[in-house]
Amino acid sequence: MTARTLLWLAAGLVVWAVLPFVVPRYFADLLVFTGIYTVAGLGIGLLLGHCGIVNLAQATFYGLGAYASAYCTVMMGLPSVVGFLVGAVISMTLAYVIGRPILRLTGYFLALGTLALSAIASALFFEWDWLTGGTLGIGGIPKLDLFGFLLDRPSRYYYFVWIVAFACMAVARNLVDSRTGLMLRAMRDSSTAAAALSIDLQALRTKVFVVCALFGSLAGSLFAHHASFVSTQSFTVDRSISFLLIPVIGGATSIPGIMVGALFVTFLPELLSKLGDIHQILFGLALVAVVVLMPEGLVGAFGKLWTRFARRGGGNG
Amino acid sequence: MAEPLLALKEVGHSFGGLSVLRSVTFDVPEGGIIGLIGPNGSGKTTLFNIVTGYIRPLAGTVAYRGAALGRDTIQQRGMAGLVRTFQTPQVFEQMTVLENVMVGCTKLTRTTMLQDLLRTPAARGQMREIRDRAEAACERFQLSALRDRPAASLTAGQRRILEIARAVAGEPRLLLLDEPSSGLNVQEIDDLRDWIVRLNEEGITILLVSHDMGLMTVARTVHTLYFGEIIASGDMAAIQRDPRVREVYLGV
Amino acid sequence: MTLSLVLQALFAGVTNGIVYALVGMGLSAIFKGSRVINAMQGEFAVIGAMTTVLLLTRTGWPYPAAIAGGALSGALVGAFIEVAFVRFMARKNASEDSFLLLTIGLALTLSASVLFFIGRDGHLLPPLGGDGVLIILDAVIQFHALWLIAIGIGATLALRAFYHRTTIGLSMMAASIDADGAATTGINVGRMRTFTFVLGGLLGALGGILVTPLIGVDYQLGLNLTLKGFAAAVLGGLTNPLGAAVGGLTLGLVESLAIIGISSSYKDVVAFTVLIVIMILMPQGILGRAGRRGG
Repeated sequence: MTARTLLWLAAGLVVWAVLPFVVPRYFADLLVFTGIYTVAGLGIGLLLGHCGIVNLAQATFYGLGAYASAYCTVMMGLPSVVGFLVGAVISMTLAYVIGRPILRLTGYFLALGTLALSAIASALFFEWDWLTGGTLGIGGIPKLDLFGFLLDRPSRYYYFVWIVAFACMAVARNLVDSRTGLMLRAMRDSSTAAAALSIDLQALRTKVFVVCALFGSLAGSLFAHHASFVSTQSFTVDRSISFLLIPVIGGATSIPGIMVGALFVTFLPELLSKLGDIHQILFGLALVAVVVLMPEGLVGAFGKLWTRFARRGGGNG
Repeated sequence: MAEPLLALKEVGHSFGGLSVLRSVTFDVPEGGIIGLIGPNGSGKTTLFNIVTGYIRPLAGTVAYRGAALGRDTIQQRGMAGLVRTFQTPQVFEQMTVLENVMVGCTKLTRTTMLQDLLRTPAARGQMREIRDRAEAACERFQLSALRDRPAASLTAGQRRILEIARAVAGEPRLLLLDEPSSGLNVQEIDDLRDWIVRLNEEGITILLVSHDMGLMTVARTVHTLYFGEIIASGDMAAIQRDPRVREVYLGV
Repeated sequence: MTLSLVLQALFAGVTNGIVYALVGMGLSAIFKGSRVINAMQGEFAVIGAMTTVLLLTRTGWPYPAAIAGGALSGALVGAFIEVAFVRFMARKNASEDSFLLLTIGLALTLSASVLFFIGRDGHLLPPLGGDGVLIILDAVIQFHALWLIAIGIGATLALRAFYHRTTIGLSMMAASIDADGAATTGINVGRMRTFTFVLGGLLGALGGILVTPLIGVDYQLGLNLTLKGFAAAVLGGLTNPLGAAVGGLTLGLVESLAIIGISSSYKDVVAFTVLIVIMILMPQGILGRAGRRGG
């Protein structure tokens, strides 16, 4: 790590720390969502960038985490940490049980399988309204209480969510740099050769799928405590598609890129809505533009620009 | 002499009614170099696929270290020391040369998902071991100059060496080389020949499939496959004198 | 569980099934011809139906002409997408995932466009054969549904003839199996790919036009039809457009039987669970050939 990089990081950290105080509350709220989406998107990014797997089922685990937190705190009066744990356990178990058969599929079949899973979950969230409250949802989810410090404002929750997000990014980075990360990239580049080198492809895919579900569930629980109210509209197939877009736009193999993707998915629709009803069309077009013109995502494209810039400018750092 | 490292007995297979292998029987003694030659389509690659576990044979048995391989998966066979290379080197294109070899070392180490996620000291230790072993292998195979290059940028000859280095880094007992000379120039084939001899001297048993007669001279015993059947066995000199082999190879 | 109820479910199942089949055949045709998974296949249905509605109600065209116009619009949009986006990305050797994401983006754009330009309301088309119904053993089936089934079967047979008898169809098959080999025999692979999208757009639009008199068309129809069409295509073996016909029928029937057997609210759950199970147990699909798995 060069001194220059460290300087950039420190500057970034300072900006991050003061942001909730200098931007309007509305923005702070969006930034919280960006953090939540970063957590959810990390899992998808690991699967996409390092395993070559398109996972369109993340809304399932996001929903499970959210409903678990909602149910445990509101219906059963348990402390919030229980909600987080219950959501995580249920999500990971489901991911393991369903993952094993589904992950034997490859390519488009797998994508379709995960999409079908998301559709099934969405329908069940709607049908089982005795558990989820259906479209009326579950309200009154308490704000998180951190050792007596109540996180009842977006500016406060912002720090908590982003610390969790940074921790998740560190964990993802650990995985990528580890022995497992080596095996994942090998599997992505040539599954034939990976198998020939005794890599258990099936077990690896399942494990990463379970980790992805964990991240999804965590994001869902964070969401529940932020929004105070959860209902089925937040956990549809559209949401799964949004989550997939995060690593795609940011750059699937880059972990900081997930943040960029999350920013895009959170802010762009909001910013565009200022332009009136046409904003959804513009969002779709923006997405198309990114996919067509920047196949490595925004981070990849900026990375290329940066190296070209650095080489021309005073390239000595 | 102890039991053979690999023993094929009456192995047979067909694809959609078309018979590809018929009653193939031969041994690979420990420490030896055995060769398989035959024209295209004679079943050599199918045989490799069967031995390494990509295909389950319709007939016959394959025994490794005395035990039938039956349902063992590709990965299990690899862990037991049965490793193969491919006719077209399957390198990990987006990874560097060093990382490619590191993948070959992953089977000698163990980490759990949790350890890797949390980057425990144990996980870090295993990674260090992988890196050390891989660097040693790169040194040995003279790949150190290329170690940080993406594998996609390598020439055919370099890829072949990389694939072998990667396979050897995992400490195999039996190495199956599938047409290792394909895509290589004369000099590279010569180097390859030296490598095979050297690896064998260090204790790796080798089963070699090749159409290159010159390369085949490293093998002590050569079996000739023709339309799925072994029609001749012996050292290279005997094979080249064998009337059936000459008949089959006339014009090839 | 009376006979008439089962018969009713069969009628509904076959009717829906043919619609899914048409969307699925288009999806399959596009995949077969270009290896692109078209996530906006359902939007072709919406485009076709909406164009027909507009031609009929705003510009006063006669119904058959409006239908032709609608079908043509699907074909044209398909061609446009291939020329404007797919070709560019193919030249840059984009990954298969990128194409999928492209079509997802296009689907989002299109459904948002429909919402913006047309609004939230659903629109209907006049049913073919009038408002009449056929009643068999207390089970009701509209004349339009009968027309739909007939046209659907006709389209399936026409597609089969197209692929096996016409020069263009054979060229498309050749180009998809081996692009380089096809090019050396003089087949213009790029144009073949455009035709593929034209075909997909046409089939999708047709499906949309035919289903609108029954359930109406709105900006949300696209996603639903894409999912079902995808399921139909996969069940049929993805590279076999005629398999999508079988897949679509299967899906439609499973759904209808689930409605009467379990409950209408679970119909999507049942349909998608069956899809997952079939994909796992029969990776080649119901009709597909072994060896060509998805991706």
